[in-house]
Amino acid sequence: MNSSTGSGGTLDAGVPQGSQPARSMAANLLSIRNLSKHYGDFRAVDNVSLDVRRGELMTFLGPSGSGKTTTLNMVAGFDTPTAGEILIDNQDISRVIPSRRNIGMVFQRYTLFPHMTVAENVGFPLMVRRVAKPQIAERVTRVLKLIRLESFGDRRPSQLSGGQQQRVALARALIYEPRLLLMDEPLGALDKRLREEIQLEIRRIHHQLDVTIIYVTHDQEEALRLSDRIAVFDNGRIAQIGAARELYDQPANAFVGAFLGNSNFLTGKIATANGGRYQVTLKDGSSIEAPARLALAPEQPVSVMFRPEKAILQSVSETSGFTNRVVGRITENVFLGDSATYEVRTASGELVTVKQPFGPSETKTRTMDEEIAVSWPHDCVHIFPIDR
Amino acid sequence: MVAATEARDTATTELARQGRTLLPALPALVFLFLAFVLPVWVLFLRSFTEPATGLGNYQSLVTDSVYLDVLVNTFFVATAVTISTLLLAFPIAWFLVIVPSRVARMVFAVILLSMWTNLLVRTYAWLVLLQDTGAINQFLMYLGLTSAPVPLVNNMVGVIIGMTYIMLPFIVLPIHATMSTLDPALMQAASIAGAKARTIFFRILLPLTLPGISAGCIMVFVMSLGYYITPALLGGVRDMMIAQLVAELIQKFLNWGLGSAAAFILLFITLAIYFAYVRLVGLVRPT
Repeated sequence: MNSSTGSGGTLDAGVPQGSQPARSMAANLLSIRNLSKHYGDFRAVDNVSLDVRRGELMTFLGPSGSGKTTTLNMVAGFDTPTAGEILIDNQDISRVIPSRRNIGMVFQRYTLFPHMTVAENVGFPLMVRRVAKPQIAERVTRVLKLIRLESFGDRRPSQLSGGQQQRVALARALIYEPRLLLMDEPLGALDKRLREEIQLEIRRIHHQLDVTIIYVTHDQEEALRLSDRIAVFDNGRIAQIGAARELYDQPANAFVGAFLGNSNFLTGKIATANGGRYQVTLKDGSSIEAPARLALAPEQPVSVMFRPEKAILQSVSETSGFTNRVVGRITENVFLGDSATYEVRTASGELVTVKQPFGPSETKTRTMDEEIAVSWPHDCVHIFPIDR
Repeated sequence: MVAATEARDTATTELARQGRTLLPALPALVFLFLAFVLPVWVLFLRSFTEPATGLGNYQSLVTDSVYLDVLVNTFFVATAVTISTLLLAFPIAWFLVIVPSRVARMVFAVILLSMWTNLLVRTYAWLVLLQDTGAINQFLMYLGLTSAPVPLVNNMVGVIIGMTYIMLPFIVLPIHATMSTLDPALMQAASIAGAKARTIFFRILLPLTLPGISAGCIMVFVMSLGYYITPALLGGVRDMMIAQLVAELIQKFLNWGLGSAAAFILLFITLAIYFAYVRLVGLVRPT
């Protein structure tokens, strides 16, 4: 989509002219600095700082009440920060009214104007910018083509399906080529298949238009599917920011490990440290090894985390396998076609989940209540200190 | 809106299906016939027969300047009251939508309480407030805004003030009902899309509230056309409205024919407005 806007300033109505040079240089489009929002004693957003790169799709991922939507609303201008700055192209916009921020937004509920046609809805941002009518018509046609609804211009929103309405909302947010597009759980109300279809659509449009997007979701799968980078929110703070792979393989804390993907958590305490490895004594008495990524003292209680797909099951008599090993009984056995998931109860009563894919060599299925050994390599282990 | 119409349709079909069970309503229907349909019919006939058979009564009502003035007055007051209630009601309805529900409930209680208070009491209260020695005039003179009392009562001003107050709930409620169904995110969406407050009001909020506005306006306008007590108490001799004329003609002059004709002109006008409204807005289908 090229920007044949005709009347020059219409696209960047809210941007002070002075920011133009900085705009082309800075790699970060949006910088949030020490942002906080307090409601009385409740810290909805607590000292959040992050940068969003130009052209990037960043997801705010977290459970409800983690502060991701409040942060988004402050970027949009619907909430005023208690403290901190929101910089777009190095200009603090935290006191600028929403209509002057030149930001696009797609909401969770379909917020199409029910008394306007699809074309009027999509053209609304241009209409309020006083773009000439023939130009509006031309650009509406173009953006409707982009979302593949070119023949729906004359319909009312109520005549469209939920997925179509949300695509129209996306078109309305894109037509004025905002510098930043915010999406607040836009697919939350749609069923799974439709959701995946529109996720692909969003990816395609993101690549095609090179638009910077912040996408809020509580669905980790959606975050993994869409994002260049993910910011995980927990209790008003950012737990970790990084690419999906980074967060999955190197979670900075137990929350990220638990929230993104499936994980096993066993409790234990540090026994000794040597050669870049910790010996950890688990609750059931067994001893395992873990890479020493954090400096921890002996006797420190820790949470030991590893992913279900990194572990294998062996009969107790087998001694080959990986460094770390616990013994237990199978309490749950779920066949999933391409894999099976087992739940193993250790001597200490803790549960360990093992996901065993059925590759070309692995064909065995295990039976309930079988005594079994779970083994996994030491470098797949993450340990997190537990505060007492 | 659509849902309401559908609900009505379902109710109607339900009624039709259970047609035989209308029997329990018979006493009420008989009562309505005896106390309402019959007398109205009798009056209707008398308007054509007294004092002479023909359209004489109607002719004099629409040609005699004294009666024409009453008609014009009636429409003027009803229009003014509709406009002033709308201007007051819209912000009130908006306020009720955006405040916390606890506050909204309190304001609703005040509105309903004033509706339940005796009409005469409320009208006399305005008389006390508006008269030359009343609180409002004394306050104005205390502020030095005026040296002599402003005539606020026994004239059109008093009628419009009093009726605006009495009609207010009838327009606040429908506007509030429509407004409270609107998703506030619509206004946010318009705002982030670049619309200023003014544009949001005229392009989004106002058109979407129109069903409530029109329902409230028609209600106030039609009720105002036939209003009696407030104009009689707060108005002057020259500000007579049609309901007063009817009372005057029948009670004072015992002119049943002319009085009935005036009443039926009012009824015709009301029905005409109602059907025009139904035609235009299509909210209520006469079945």
